[in-house]
Amino acid sequence: MLQFLFRRLLVAIPTMFIVVTLAFFMMRAAPGSPFVNERRLSPEVERNVMAKYGMDKPLVVQYATYVGGVLRGDLGPSLKYKDKSVLKIISEGFPHSLFIGGMAMTLAALVGVTLGVVGALRQNRPADYTAMGVAVLGVCIPTFVTAPLLVLLFASTLGILPTAGWPAATQPLSSAWRYFVMPVVVLSLPQIAIISRLTRAGMIEVLRSNYVRTARAKGLPEHSVVLRHALRGAILPLVSYLGPATAGVITGSLVVEQIFQLPGIGRAFVSSALQRDYTVVMGVVILYAGLILFLNLVADILYAALDPRVRLS
Amino acid sequence: MRPWGTWTVAAAALATTALGACDSGSGRAACPAGKLCLERGNVADPLTLDPLKSTTIGEQHILGDMFTALVQYDAKGEPIPGIATAWETSPDGLTWTFHLRESKWSDGAPLTADDFVFAMQRLMDPKFASEYAYILYFVQNAEAVNGGKLPLTAVGVDAPDPRTFRIHLTHPVPYLLRVATHTAMYPIPRHMVEKYGDHWTDPAHWVSNGAYVIKTWVLGDRIHAERNPYFYDAKSVCIDEVNFYPGADAISAERRVRRGEIDYNWDIQSNRISYLRQPGQIPDFVHVRTWLGTVYIPFNPNAVPAFKDIRVRQALTMAIDRDFVAGKLMRGGQLPAYTLVPPGIASYPGSVPPHWAGWSFERRMSEAKRLMAEAGYTPEHPLKFELKMRNTNDPQLIYPAIQADWRSIGAVASLYPEESQIAYADYSARNFQAADVGWIADYNDPLTFLYLMKSTTGPQNYSDYKNPAYDALLDKADHDVDLTERGLDLAKAEHLGMEDATVAPVYFYVSKDLVNPKLTGWQENLPDWHLSRYMCFAGHKPPG
Repeated sequence: MLQFLFRRLLVAIPTMFIVVTLAFFMMRAAPGSPFVNERRLSPEVERNVMAKYGMDKPLVVQYATYVGGVLRGDLGPSLKYKDKSVLKIISEGFPHSLFIGGMAMTLAALVGVTLGVVGALRQNRPADYTAMGVAVLGVCIPTFVTAPLLVLLFASTLGILPTAGWPAATQPLSSAWRYFVMPVVVLSLPQIAIISRLTRAGMIEVLRSNYVRTARAKGLPEHSVVLRHALRGAILPLVSYLGPATAGVITGSLVVEQIFQLPGIGRAFVSSALQRDYTVVMGVVILYAGLILFLNLVADILYAALDPRVRLS
Repeated sequence: MRPWGTWTVAAAALATTALGACDSGSGRAACPAGKLCLERGNVADPLTLDPLKSTTIGEQHILGDMFTALVQYDAKGEPIPGIATAWETSPDGLTWTFHLRESKWSDGAPLTADDFVFAMQRLMDPKFASEYAYILYFVQNAEAVNGGKLPLTAVGVDAPDPRTFRIHLTHPVPYLLRVATHTAMYPIPRHMVEKYGDHWTDPAHWVSNGAYVIKTWVLGDRIHAERNPYFYDAKSVCIDEVNFYPGADAISAERRVRRGEIDYNWDIQSNRISYLRQPGQIPDFVHVRTWLGTVYIPFNPNAVPAFKDIRVRQALTMAIDRDFVAGKLMRGGQLPAYTLVPPGIASYPGSVPPHWAGWSFERRMSEAKRLMAEAGYTPEHPLKFELKMRNTNDPQLIYPAIQADWRSIGAVASLYPEESQIAYADYSARNFQAADVGWIADYNDPLTFLYLMKSTTGPQNYSDYKNPAYDALLDKADHDVDLTERGLDLAKAEHLGMEDATVAPVYFYVSKDLVNPKLTGWQENLPDWHLSRYMCFAGHKPPG
């Protein structure tokens, strides 16, 4: 196990290095520049600004400086939000995205697996069609439609949930939770759909397998067969899906953050990419790549824990 | 499989109880007991909290609450004494002397004339690279210092004693008091800048001299400010805490104002105004009035060579159905614009529109078609270019209409929406072909618009307009002693610029505020400038 972790870590280092390198040069190859306002100023002012951010040096030198900074844990200053550093932007935004995304994935896993199991057990019967119908609807209707609909219903008409925003730090949890309900539900709907389809497919296959037949033949009660034996095998494909999916959801969604005015990094990422805030884009890319590597590792370990045939070696 | 059914029922019951149990569900931010909190919708996050670097309206709403300059706006939008209690001008109009009141920064340090001198030197520092340095180029030596040709100390401001601040000018500036309300003339706490450098604006150790001080800023969430006990007029301030929320979506902000989550938002989507004014909606929330602002389209001749051809520019400028845009699409009281300077501005005889402005739209379209054909473009072989625009609601309404107008004269514009700040950054970098610009006056004077087309203006002269006759008229106006003559010279310059058509004005702004009537002390005004310190809630009054 330790050896496995060590080997994976060794592979992760060159992977991260390649990601950083590619992202760095792709970003620079994109047209435009972050120092837009300075460009029309006198040449000596422009020189000063470029020198301040080290952008007067050759690209290769800048790259080396940047990688050096990353190794020391310094992601540089934001080129657009003049008062903030990249680390500050990420450390302010990421916890919000992580929280909302984490809740959404948890909800999606609970509801999705339940729907999937119900669907598989009641295959081609009304319960199955209902569960899968709901799931397909969830993936078909885009979040920019579900979000305003929910706002209209629960905030504007019924008045039981806030329209948008993030609770103040001083807000007690007893009322703060209301802010999270709609973003979490909206983010989880498409995930519920995918998770329930994956679970249903896996479950149908496993229910026909020999070991489930054996379990039934032993006379185990049905809930024990389903929950302890079949489900464990059925969610294997789900585990490999959840790794990268979680990384995507917890790094924030532009649409959901925009509509619910959430202070996450999804919005910061898109806007900084559009306006060539190189350092912020690089920072988020590194975070995203790191999360994918980490969550894939977690998925592999879970795999081994769930499936006795898999050995981590 | 009974348990599933039971679970569903239980979960549904639990959810219902939880939702039913919540007392209000109002979504209004928590406010400490006994305090009054104001929730302000502020459209976008600030790019910076440094007044001398500030360029956006959202920043100016925040900074106006945090700082008090020599003079300041009252609730009606007129300049009144701020830190300066009195001032006088020398007979030649070239020296202004301001007498400062005794006042303190929010950390208790005394505020002296030196803080104003320091701010002006910092603004003109070429290394500081402020975009707004140019509006104070009338200060002696300012332009040379900003260009790196003279040391900082050469800027024409001095402090003969800690309570006296003097400004020396290169030419008389009768409208100086209106400029003095701008963030570029705010005082800066020298002791903080010397300690923290550019990081002096960090909310962790924020110091300012206005009614409020910033406590926290989380990007995308809010700026939280609290009362400044050292503010010289703290007794008159009613509201204790102010939150500024970014949020570009005007519809979402409208919903939040309706529900009382936000008290005041300075934007309404234009085509919602007539709906909101209907009885049964929220007519008493809606405040719309003429504003000092113009939406216009600059053409970048260095990106599209065809824009160097005056026929193409004139054709594109003529072929915009402004009555349709202002009257049918915007529907909020906006006026069609054929000139850059809006009506009602101070010290101006009024704009002279280009020769074709009085023509019918049909006549303009056929003339535009003729001009385009002469330049070699027809609907079959159109001129293709990209129009970069802000992704906010109003631009997204009007540009498809303009796009259609242009298509019929042989110009195909592809629309390219971007977040406002990014769009403006691109415009300054000339990373655009044609652009959607909204310009709000920095102060109540035509120069704040006409400067935009002066060749020495730099980034904000988006179409890089360079006409020696235009520049000469603006220079002459700077030295006119007679305000009427100055106005006439400026109007002549504007007419030249409009005939050259390097920018196409589209419509004049109205200010569109959505204000909860419970908020008292909020008054409509021409600059649309509303300081939190004048506001209160019905049934409350300031401690003093």
